[in-house]
Amino acid sequence: MQSKLSDIELIEQTLGGNQAAYADLVKRHQRFVFTLAMRFSKSREDAEEIAQDCFIKAYRSLAAFQRQSKFSTWLYSIVYTTAMTFLRKKRVDTDSIDDENTYIQLENQASGLDNNLAENKSRSYYLNKAIGQLLPDDAAIITLFYMGEQSLEEIGKTMDMEANTVKVKLFRARQRLKEKLELSLKDEVKELI
Amino acid sequence: MNKMEERLWSYIDGSCSEDEQKAVSILIAQDEAYRLKYEELMAFNRQLSKMEMDEPSMAFTYNVMEDIRAEYAQKPLKAMIDKRIIKGIFLFFIFTILLLLIYSLATVHLSGTKSGMHLPDSVKLPDIKKYFTAPVIKGFLFFDVVLGLFLFDAYLRKRSVSKQL
Repeated sequence: MQSKLSDIELIEQTLGGNQAAYADLVKRHQRFVFTLAMRFSKSREDAEEIAQDCFIKAYRSLAAFQRQSKFSTWLYSIVYTTAMTFLRKKRVDTDSIDDENTYIQLENQASGLDNNLAENKSRSYYLNKAIGQLLPDDAAIITLFYMGEQSLEEIGKTMDMEANTVKVKLFRARQRLKEKLELSLKDEVKELI
Repeated sequence: MNKMEERLWSYIDGSCSEDEQKAVSILIAQDEAYRLKYEELMAFNRQLSKMEMDEPSMAFTYNVMEDIRAEYAQKPLKAMIDKRIIKGIFLFFIFTILLLLIYSLATVHLSGTKSGMHLPDSVKLPDIKKYFTAPVIKGFLFFDVVLGLFLFDAYLRKRSVSKQL
């Protein structure tokens, strides 16, 4: 059962030496942090490693949290930085959807799915799959905006960008996502959007 | 087309001005192309809003807390979080010591000693007693008390952490 205390109250208690309060904070934010990490790593193991690393980093610098923004915004900026560092280290292939190889992959994926389309047909499934094929930045912006319920300004703080830049990037990310859905689902997309 | 989508997305997100909001809503009401596009984008937007989050493993919180416990087992969080406090204490001591040193050097009058030993006239030993003036001793004691309190505080923190564990 999760605590009803606010993030700030839990932070105060953590700074006072109550580690159980921090465990409550972790429980509260772990799903989103893990989801955001998944946008960068594509594997559950790596995403979990990134997410754990983020919570440990956040604990280390909890006293430095200025409280001028929401705790979640501050935490997501740690996730973003950690995930970007992870990408640089792992040299994950971050090629665009427009890349020829990715296009071939998607074609194969779509045709492979045709057989069991009926079983797997779930809106969330296709959408998550399409987001997983986006560039990490695009996927992160969409995730922060729709799942993290972050405003354009807050996303700007998280990703160290101007709110206007975020607005343009969000617009382009949604366009690419739509294109990807159309590409991977072909006729099926008409039913979805 | 792009311009239309851009305007509609701003309208849907509520990130445009009030005038623009009004202009777009009129266009949606009167222009068929705008209306169809708006409905398409709204359906897509609803879809995005319904996305489900991924779930980490059951032991996720436990693993995080275990890592933290292992890392911070002997260190109370408050004692190590703000390095500025430690720096401040360090600077205070350095400043006090320097002040004492300057004061002592300024007030010392070097002169020869009258003892049984006879050193060559060219060698003059300083009068050590003159260094131990009342302010110097007071300063030294003050320093010792502060240092003692600091160490006592560290000891108490360590003891409370080991009790918690």
